[in-house]
Amino acid sequence: MSSQGQLMSQAPPARSNPGLFKRNPPIAGEAEAIEAAKRGDADAFARLYNLHKRRVYTLCLRMLGNVSAAEDMTQNAFLHLFRKIESFRGESAFSTWLHRLTVNLVLMQLRKKGLNLVSLEETINPEDDAPRRDFGSRDPVLAGSVDRVALERAVAALPPGYRMVFVLHDVEGYEHNEIATMLDCSTGNSKSQLHKARLKLRELLRNPNQLPQSPLPSGPEESAK
Amino acid sequence: MTLPRNIDFDSLRPEEFEHILPDLFASGDGKVSQDPRLKKFLAANPDCAALVSDLEVIAETARSLFEPVAEPSDRVWQNIQAKLQEESALASIDDDYIDPSKPLD
Repeated sequence: MSSQGQLMSQAPPARSNPGLFKRNPPIAGEAEAIEAAKRGDADAFARLYNLHKRRVYTLCLRMLGNVSAAEDMTQNAFLHLFRKIESFRGESAFSTWLHRLTVNLVLMQLRKKGLNLVSLEETINPEDDAPRRDFGSRDPVLAGSVDRVALERAVAALPPGYRMVFVLHDVEGYEHNEIATMLDCSTGNSKSQLHKARLKLRELLRNPNQLPQSPLPSGPEESAK
Repeated sequence: MTLPRNIDFDSLRPEEFEHILPDLFASGDGKVSQDPRLKKFLAANPDCAALVSDLEVIAETARSLFEPVAEPSDRVWQNIQAKLQEESALASIDDDYIDPSKPLD
């Protein structure tokens, strides 16, 4: 099977994550644009791109942590989408389908680059980066709230394996069994990686002043500049 | 890794709690602090309660990151358009192509 075939065959079937459906409500004008795009309408492609470019790009940026790589991946994702749009049958929300396609492309790229997503523990969880296993201070360190910008920066500072599972589960809303399928690992591994990612984030958030700058803008206002 | 059955939550030790924590988060709605089985344990182990509270705050805040905050540069759409036009031009060449080895109708 070609890589394109694999990508599309992994797009979510009817049993999509209900959480993602909830977070991906239909967008006005989207259905018409999809049908027109299937007929090769160039304006419809542009409409779909404008509707979804920010979400696809933000996902790529968060997973890859690099503006240039994220732009290349966004381009790649939309090219795949436009070439294969006739295979979208509306069994899941279009944005869910597009999201899954993008995630699969990112994972393919990371595998090509030699990031072994199968044995996450050994390959992308170097001991130096492992969160400390102590419980920390007695009082809640985060005092009931986390600054969104600080969390974004802390996520960007995570080792790739932790970041991947954290973004897929806690940000994008995928279930552990879906992540296990995507990363070709066990659900136990996914749960364990997520837990370690959260522990590491807790550790990083204790010293927010030492966090590196995130490649993501701090909010919609900044991104609009 | 799944949550072992027959756990005595009242006599749980912090190390055991730490071991099962990923599964506790993965089960139910992820609100470990509100799990009635852990009420007594968390009350008796403030360090564990603090850890749970922090991890829940992190997971909760992460959900707010779902909304996109970044926009790709115009270059991305320009490249996509150029590629699509190139492919469409190639496809039309293919459509017009006449195989010289085959007789004309």
